[in-house]
Amino acid sequence: MVDAGNLFATIVAGIGIGAIYALIAMGFSLIYKVTGVLNFAQGQLALVGAYFVAIFAAPSIVWFVPSGSVAGLGGIGALVATILVGILLGILLERAIFRFFIGEPVLSVIIVTLALGGIFSGFIRFLVGPNFRAYPASILPDWNVPLPLGAEISGPFAIGVVLSLAVVIALMLFFRYTVTGSILRAAASDQQAAMALGVSIERTIIIAWTLSIAITAIGGILLAMANGGAGFNIETTGIIIFVAVVFGGLDSVPGAFIGAIVVGLLQELGTFYVEPIVGPGFGPVLPLIFLLFIIVVLPYGLFGTERIERI
Amino acid sequence: MPCGEYFTDYGSRMGLFRWRTQRIALALALPIPFLLPFVLGGGTVSLLSKIYIFAIAVLGLNVILGYAGEIVLAQGAFMAIGAYSTSRMLGTGAGLLPSMVIGGLVAAGVAVAFGLPAFRVKGFYIAISTLALQFIAEWFFLNDKATFIHGGVQQSIPVDVGLIGGFVSVSSRTDIYFVALVSMLLFAMLSLNLSRTGIGRSFRAVHENDLAAAVLGINVFQNKLLAFAIGGFMIGFSGGLYAIWIGFLDPGFFTIELTLEHYVMLLFGGLGRVWGALLGVAVVSFLLDYLRNFFTAYAGDATALIPVIFGAVIIIVLAVEPKGVLAALGQLKEYLRKWPYAY
Repeated sequence: MVDAGNLFATIVAGIGIGAIYALIAMGFSLIYKVTGVLNFAQGQLALVGAYFVAIFAAPSIVWFVPSGSVAGLGGIGALVATILVGILLGILLERAIFRFFIGEPVLSVIIVTLALGGIFSGFIRFLVGPNFRAYPASILPDWNVPLPLGAEISGPFAIGVVLSLAVVIALMLFFRYTVTGSILRAAASDQQAAMALGVSIERTIIIAWTLSIAITAIGGILLAMANGGAGFNIETTGIIIFVAVVFGGLDSVPGAFIGAIVVGLLQELGTFYVEPIVGPGFGPVLPLIFLLFIIVVLPYGLFGTERIERI
Repeated sequence: MPCGEYFTDYGSRMGLFRWRTQRIALALALPIPFLLPFVLGGGTVSLLSKIYIFAIAVLGLNVILGYAGEIVLAQGAFMAIGAYSTSRMLGTGAGLLPSMVIGGLVAAGVAVAFGLPAFRVKGFYIAISTLALQFIAEWFFLNDKATFIHGGVQQSIPVDVGLIGGFVSVSSRTDIYFVALVSMLLFAMLSLNLSRTGIGRSFRAVHENDLAAAVLGINVFQNKLLAFAIGGFMIGFSGGLYAIWIGFLDPGFFTIELTLEHYVMLLFGGLGRVWGALLGVAVVSFLLDYLRNFFTAYAGDATALIPVIFGAVIIIVLAVEPKGVLAALGQLKEYLRKWPYAY
C-alpha cells in the first residue's frame, strides 16, 4: 500500500520544507540564546521578508504608489534590499522597543512580541492588501534537482537545504571561533559579568537581532518562492517553528535545525498519509499535536539547557 | 507614615465596599444599565451587549492571566468551543441558560486538558501549548469531516429560544442585552470575591513565584488547573452568549485576532483587577467601534491598521504603566485626596 517512490518523494519534500523552517527557527533560537526574548512575531518577520521582496520587485502593488511611476528593482536587487530592510528593522526594534524591556518579566516581553506580530502583519495588510502577491518570474527558481527513485526537489527547497546547512555550520563556527561569537556567548550566559568585562550589551543585542531578522527574512522569502509568491499563510509558520525550537531545546541553534527538519517531515507525512482520513489541512496540525507531546515528555528538548531555579 | 486615609482593621480593608461613597455610588449607578435600553438606540444597545459579553471573556482571561499568571493564547478557541457547544445544546431544546453552562463546562474541560503541561513546565510553554490549541481548534471547526462533533462549520442560531427549557423566551436584542448584563454582573461579583478568598490568594502566590508558593505548601499544579477551569468556564460561557448575539456561527469570528483584542482590553485596563478589566473592555470596544466606522468611511483598506494601533497601545501601556490605566487613575485619586496638604 505504501509505495516506496511516493514515500521517498514525501520525505524529500518534508526535508525541503523543513530546511526552510530551519532558517526561521534558527532566527528564533539565536535571539533567545543571546537576549532571552521569546519572539512570538517570528512568523510575521518571515512575512515581512516575503512581502518586501514583492514590494521592491514591483512597487506599484502598494496602494499609494501609482503604477509605473517607480521602477521596480531587479530580482537580485529586491532580495538584497529586503535583507537590508531586515537589518535596519533589527536595529530599530532594539533601539525603539526591546531596550525598554530589559529585565522586565517574561510575560511582558512575550506580550510585546505578540503585539509586534500584530503590528507587522497589520502594516503589510495596510500597504498591499490581503491578497496573494505573485513574485516576478525573474526571481522564481524554475529548475528542479532530480533525485533517485523518480523523486525531485524543486528549486526553492534545494536552495533552502543548501542555505540552512550553510547557516547552521556558519553559526556554529561563528559562536565557537570568532571574537564576536564569544562575546555573544558571554553576553548570553551572564549579562552583568559580561558588562563588567567591558562588553557592550547594546551592541551584542543589535548584532543578534540583525542576524536573526536577516536569517528569518531569507526563510520567509524562500517560503514565498516555494508558493510562487507572498501570501498571508506564511504567518502561521510562526506557530509551526515553535514546535521545532521546543523539540531542539529553545536556545540551541543546531537543535532548531534538527527540530525543523523533523517538523517538516511530520507535516509532509501528515499531509500525504493522514489527511485523506481526517480531513483537509491536517498536515500543519500534526506537528502541533507532536508539540503537546514534547512539552509533557521532554520539556527541555534535545539540546536545551535545563534551568535550575532558586528563590 | 505619609498622610492619607488608612484602614484600621482587616474586615474593612477586605470589604467589597470600603467607603460610604462607594455604597451611594452603587445604589445610584446600578439602575442605570437596566434603564439604558429604553433610552438608547438599537445600535448602541447592541454594542453595549457586546461589551458585556466580551467583559465576561476578559474577566475569564483575567482569572488565568491576571490572578494565576499563566499566559493563555486561546481566547478564540475557548469562545468557539463554548459557542459551538451552546449551539448544539440549543438544538436539544434545553434552553439558553443550561446550554451556555454546558458550553462553559466543555470549554473548562478543554482548558484543563491543555493546562496539563503545567505539571512540568510554565510560562512560555503554556503560552505555546494554548497557541497550538488555537490553531488546532481553527482547523477542527473548519473541518467538514468533524460535523458529527461540532454540528456544522457554519450554523445559524434560532432567533427565539427559552431561557430555561421553553420558559421565558429570549427573542429581541433587548432580551439579549439583559441576559448579557445580568451574566456580566454575576461573573464580575464572582471574580471580585474570588480575589478575596483563599483560592484567589493562592493564585496570586503562584503568579508571584511558583517555587516559593510550592515551598509554602500551596499545591501549584492543582491551583493552576483550577484557574484554567474557572477562567475557561467564563470564556466558554461568554462564547455561547456571543453566538446568540451574532445569531450565526463561523470559525472566522474566533481567530487569533480575538485573542489579541482581549489582551489589549485587559492590559489597557489593568492586569489582575476586575474594575480594570471592565474599564478596558468598555474603552477599547468604544474606540474600536469608532475606529471601524471612521476607517470604513474615509479609507477602505485602512481597517488593517487596527491591529497596528492595538499593538502600539499594548507596547506603550506595557512600557509606561504596566499596571494599566486603572493604576494610573488610582494614583491620581490618591493625589487629589491629599491635595493640597500632602506630606
